[in-house]
Amino acid sequence: MSFCIPAARCARHALGVACALLMLAAPVSAQVGTRPVIGLADRTPRQVALTHARLVLRPGRVIEDGTLLLRDGVIVAAGAEVAIPTGVATVDLHGKTIFAGFIEPQSAYGLTAAAESAAGHGTTVDASVHAGARHWNSRIRPETDLAESLRPDAGAAAKWRALGFTAVTVVPQRGILRGQGAVVSLADDQPAGTVLIAARVLQQAAFEIAPWNSGDYPGSLMGSIALLRQTLADAQWQPRRQAWQRSHPQAPRLEASPALDALAPALAGRQPMVFVTQDELDYDRALAIAREFGLKPVLLGNGHEYRRLALLRRSGAPVIVPLQLPAAPAVEDPDRALDVSLAALEHWQWAPYNARLLAEAGVPFAFTAAGLDKPESEFWPRVRGAVEKGLGEDAALSALTTQPAALLGLGGRLGTLEPGRLAHFIVADADLFRSPHAQIYEIWIDGRRHIEAALDTPEPRGVWGLSWTGANGPAALEIAGDDTLSAKAGATVIAVTQDEDRLLLYVPGVLLGVADPRVVVVAQLQTRGFEGRARLADGREIRVRATQTRAAPRAPAAAIAKPALPATPLHFPAGANGRMGLPAQPAVVLVRHATVWTQGPQGVLADADLLVRAGRVVAVGRGLAAPADAVVVDARGRHVTPGLIDAHSHLAIARGVNEGTHAATSEVRVGDVLDPTDIGIYRQLAGGVTAAQLLHGSANPIGGQSQIVKLRWGADAEGLKFEGAPATIKFALGENVKQANWGDRFTTRYPQTRMGVEQLDLDRLLAARAYRAARQRGSADDGGPLRRDLQLEALTEVLDGRRLVQVHSYRQDEILAFARLAQRFGFVPTFQHVLEGYKVADVLAGMGAGASTFSDWWAYKYEVIDAIPYNGALMTRQGVTVSFNSDDEEMGRRLNTEAAKAIKYGGLDATQALALVTANPARQLHLERRVGSLEPGKDADFVIWSADPLSTLAVAEQTWIDGRKYFDRDDDRREQVRIERERAGLIAAVLPERVKALKAAPGKDDGKTPAPASLVRPPQDAYAALRPIYHDSEQANSCHAGDFE
Amino acid sequence: MNAGILRLLCAALLAAVPGAGLRAAPAPAARPILLSGADLVTVSHGVIPRGELLIVDGRIAAIGPGVDAPADAVRIDLAGKRVYPGYIAADSVLGLTEIESVRATNDMAETGAINPNARALAAINPDSELLPVARANGVLSAHVVPQPGEAGVLSGQSALVSLDGWSWEDMAVRAPVGVHLYWPALDVPDWAPVEYAARARESVERKQKALAAAFADARIYRVSRDAGTLRAPDLRWEALVPVLQGTQPLFIHADRIVQLREALAFIERERIARPVLVGGSDAWRIADVLAARRIPVILGSAHRLPQRRWEGYDVAYSSAARLARAGVTFAIANAATPMAAANERNLPYQAASYAAYGLGSEAALRAITLTAAEILGVADRLGSLDVGKDATLFVADGDALDIRTRVERAWVGGHEVSLETRQTRLHERYRSKYSGVRRP
Repeated sequence: MSFCIPAARCARHALGVACALLMLAAPVSAQVGTRPVIGLADRTPRQVALTHARLVLRPGRVIEDGTLLLRDGVIVAAGAEVAIPTGVATVDLHGKTIFAGFIEPQSAYGLTAAAESAAGHGTTVDASVHAGARHWNSRIRPETDLAESLRPDAGAAAKWRALGFTAVTVVPQRGILRGQGAVVSLADDQPAGTVLIAARVLQQAAFEIAPWNSGDYPGSLMGSIALLRQTLADAQWQPRRQAWQRSHPQAPRLEASPALDALAPALAGRQPMVFVTQDELDYDRALAIAREFGLKPVLLGNGHEYRRLALLRRSGAPVIVPLQLPAAPAVEDPDRALDVSLAALEHWQWAPYNARLLAEAGVPFAFTAAGLDKPESEFWPRVRGAVEKGLGEDAALSALTTQPAALLGLGGRLGTLEPGRLAHFIVADADLFRSPHAQIYEIWIDGRRHIEAALDTPEPRGVWGLSWTGANGPAALEIAGDDTLSAKAGATVIAVTQDEDRLLLYVPGVLLGVADPRVVVVAQLQTRGFEGRARLADGREIRVRATQTRAAPRAPAAAIAKPALPATPLHFPAGANGRMGLPAQPAVVLVRHATVWTQGPQGVLADADLLVRAGRVVAVGRGLAAPADAVVVDARGRHVTPGLIDAHSHLAIARGVNEGTHAATSEVRVGDVLDPTDIGIYRQLAGGVTAAQLLHGSANPIGGQSQIVKLRWGADAEGLKFEGAPATIKFALGENVKQANWGDRFTTRYPQTRMGVEQLDLDRLLAARAYRAARQRGSADDGGPLRRDLQLEALTEVLDGRRLVQVHSYRQDEILAFARLAQRFGFVPTFQHVLEGYKVADVLAGMGAGASTFSDWWAYKYEVIDAIPYNGALMTRQGVTVSFNSDDEEMGRRLNTEAAKAIKYGGLDATQALALVTANPARQLHLERRVGSLEPGKDADFVIWSADPLSTLAVAEQTWIDGRKYFDRDDDRREQVRIERERAGLIAAVLPERVKALKAAPGKDDGKTPAPASLVRPPQDAYAALRPIYHDSEQANSCHAGDFE
Repeated sequence: MNAGILRLLCAALLAAVPGAGLRAAPAPAARPILLSGADLVTVSHGVIPRGELLIVDGRIAAIGPGVDAPADAVRIDLAGKRVYPGYIAADSVLGLTEIESVRATNDMAETGAINPNARALAAINPDSELLPVARANGVLSAHVVPQPGEAGVLSGQSALVSLDGWSWEDMAVRAPVGVHLYWPALDVPDWAPVEYAARARESVERKQKALAAAFADARIYRVSRDAGTLRAPDLRWEALVPVLQGTQPLFIHADRIVQLREALAFIERERIARPVLVGGSDAWRIADVLAARRIPVILGSAHRLPQRRWEGYDVAYSSAARLARAGVTFAIANAATPMAAANERNLPYQAASYAAYGLGSEAALRAITLTAAEILGVADRLGSLDVGKDATLFVADGDALDIRTRVERAWVGGHEVSLETRQTRLHERYRSKYSGVRRP
């Protein structure tokens, strides 16, 4: 060990700084560059051979005794038989292991405030954050290039290095399209230009939402995705326009947009786009956008990846996996423990296996320390924790080296010890990935060493022979221990501390025959020997000489055996009522001896059978025959109806039902943000609902695109979609859109009156008409390439009759005004709520418009004082197709008895009443060929009721969709027992860890991960945008009332 | 001011508050009425098939398979119908609200934490359009309850009123019924922003302190009051004294288990003699305790979602059956919200949902009639078809818990009430638009 003599005694602490300075006294020469030499040039030969080291060339490839040859910061040879050129200094690394340096793919290292403050703050009209030619939306900042504002931070770099990192990726932290990250080395105290390894390695994207009080667009997840989609479409269009512009000098000038320019590499697939995900449903959303635009996606995970392994494997996209783990939930108080969800308990148990499961599934992934509160103390316990749970050490290493290098496009430069790679590596103990006692000694970056611990620190562990001067001390001493050392002389235990090569022994005076209660012996540790001195209280000095008679260095930890996975099954959705897959679809199902309400020409049949084959109704009738293998359900005494259809629901919509910021937001899509984990799906199945129209809210005149779904609980977001169902869109009129009940601050957004609402709708529809003409022509007004306008595109579908308008309405004046507007543009809307529909039923019937209303709600706001429960019956009698809807997750569970109210109020007959929640909504949604009645050829979506479905005493016993049984009351009872049992088991498992946490911070630790701060008390509607998946029953979704403040 | 004068002053104050035993004022029908031929659903003693019920001076004078009716009695043939005692909306804001989103129409919640003296009765609007709508489906009485504001803890004194009368004095059946305590609840989801959660925690602490201080002060006040040494009456503590004396119930509104547990401890600590729990989503979890301590419950709406994601979909529906099995005395109520007040008519369907999930129809009906009357201290007047009680009842054309059933006639205190509402009027008016016979 003779290389770098001055550094040989570098200590981790005080000396380390001096040592680093010494090394840097000479200018850097690892890079070729243009920097002028100031003062004397450094001509030290930058060649060195590291010999006799255990080389982990790359994960899984180990040379037990190898040589690593470096030249000018680059690895030039690595292997067992490397010829060392003459004149090259060598360093003997016997007993040490060399791993490639770690690469952090996601960090805020070296970010300056200036780079961050511009994006994602304030409102779109705030000029102070809009200096420069920016995109109109402050959250679209793809042109941000962090290489330009990078400020290396020596203190932070040292902390990263101490963990084994040699390079980090700096990524922007705010915005939707946040900008481009850079990879920098963690070399000590060097200028940004020198540490920068690669600029613009990735574009960072996130589904960020503006705080509610900013009024800023987007205010919802669906808005965020829509903005992302429009921006990417614009970036595809802009170069075509620019090209056209060059040959058309007289065309109107094109607005400059560096933001769109900056997206070219991502759109060309040359630059990965990293999508920040918040939960396990964001993967689908990110992957869908990536597919749509041909992007190269990387997913920044959130710790729930293990729940979506199949999807991730299928996608092939690399995942950046955070290392943080959930805190032990607060379960010590049995009453409060009730508020801890089963999904949270399961996550606590499964999260530590996340990395292992990803590795076993073959999903490429890198680790990130981002999200750890204290990486310096948490990073290694988490990495080793993952290994302990069964992640292979090679996989752990690749998650820190080859995987991040590959996803950053730097596989040829970083991540392994192979020739041609930058000399970024660490010198450590072999059991680095499994032993908490393993050490990192040196971090080499660009061929320059940064010392964490001296390689040749003498080993204090072992048996020592002692000879004392001035005292009669013990003749022998044995030192042992891992991190904390202790010594034993005979039966007496002596405390020992070590700081590099300084050893302190706290010897009881009685052992030395002196009066002092304790004598501190300070010794300079050398290889196999030390000399120590101590001063007694009386001023005398005693000395001791020691010789090591037997060395006992720390034994490397044994390899870890793979533990068994938790016994709790991994359902989807996680927690209560989740499934292991979709329910089976029997080839043939025969429901026998039931009263069947066909809602079709066959009417109601007593003691009838329903025959289903491959998910479709084959026949309804008496005494139907079925093959021997048919699944037969004896429904004697029961009633069977078509599955109920809720024509107005806000179920299963993630992070915001309203994009209520702009007056027209037809570009946003509920279909982008479905939440298949919403327990409301299951609860409504239990009320006999099989299909629903999930509508955007009513905060603005032209809302978003809706999504018709089947309640296929257990399917993913895509699986919920009612295949072949028409596209629909929400419009809204009246108090909500004119912000009448939003509070006094909201008095300026256009429109503020029903007059303005009508004009705004007219204006947008005219714009859509012009856009449609442009599309037919194939060019913009000036003849240039047409920009795809997603807002108008949705409205042209309305004009073409391909997108059904669902218009939230109350008063007859606004209903009439919209009816005339629709007639003018040639489309037929369905009026939602339409509580004064009975006043203009003739108009509705005349134009063939549908009416989807509440059975009996009224009086909750001024525009509903004339609502009457006879509305449904009155409109029905005038020939309007009427449905009753819920607009409410609770009422959606009992639509059958809501329908019965039309018998009480207005005297419809039973079949007419049930049609309000079956055949009629099907007709309104143009789905009457698929659902709404039980007729041959229709989807086998049906409910088995305990009694007459219009009776308040009827209970749904089974609910079937596509010939699959999605709800069964008996199964549910068993599931409830299972849930209780699983909870009890998990709570028992959490308790010990929870007790530990409570002891560490009594009264402080509430077992919760705090949600990020926001600026205002969120009103109910803003909750919708904050509410995560797996929420309880906090209702954040509704558009019936002024749920805004 | 000497003590004697003060006592007089307090007495005067109390006298201004209509007390128990007040009679609804609408003049009883002059002639006796005999309802005959209908199945009489007495609630207290089963169904009398095709029975007779005699109304004299506003009260039920006789009931049975056949009764002796005076010769001048008005005979009403109700063959094929059923007669029920009027439903009691046991937790309502009827009369205190008109249109939820129009602030000017809301008188439900006074500002501040401690308002035990606020009187619901004095703010009930007899001409609210919501009242006839409730009445038209058999909801003939309501327990009108002051609500807490954002800082509210002791919200005020409730009143039991019949849904018919020229004024609230006419309508009053019993007032005050009791004082209402809204147990401070930390109902902030885990995912709420940190500073919001922190503010909510502070708010709960503030409320708890205010509550403890109120009871401590009221006790000091009561000692002085009993000794005749008060310098001046304190309206708030005057309202709390009957609760401390045990002459009036304290209604404690609490849903979640932690609230319920804290409320039970409070009842013990403050030696509340007549506690009633209201809401009680989680009450079934401590049903045995409630039964053993004989604490009645006014169970809130069946039409609530499970509070917790992992709970069974039917946890709310089945909670009444669980209380019943444990022997807890309970009534069933709608939520005390403006939305529910507008549809107080759906009270029987709340009961029906509980009935469908194990409670059974008979017990469900009792929970919106007789048990409600018992808990609210008006069982001598309302809740069942029994001799001596008010003739507050309705006629239906079938099982009244079934939505398809229509309520055809109703009497309040022996006085037949109109079942016409704003809604029936609009219905008739617009029906005429299409029938060609235009009505004004």
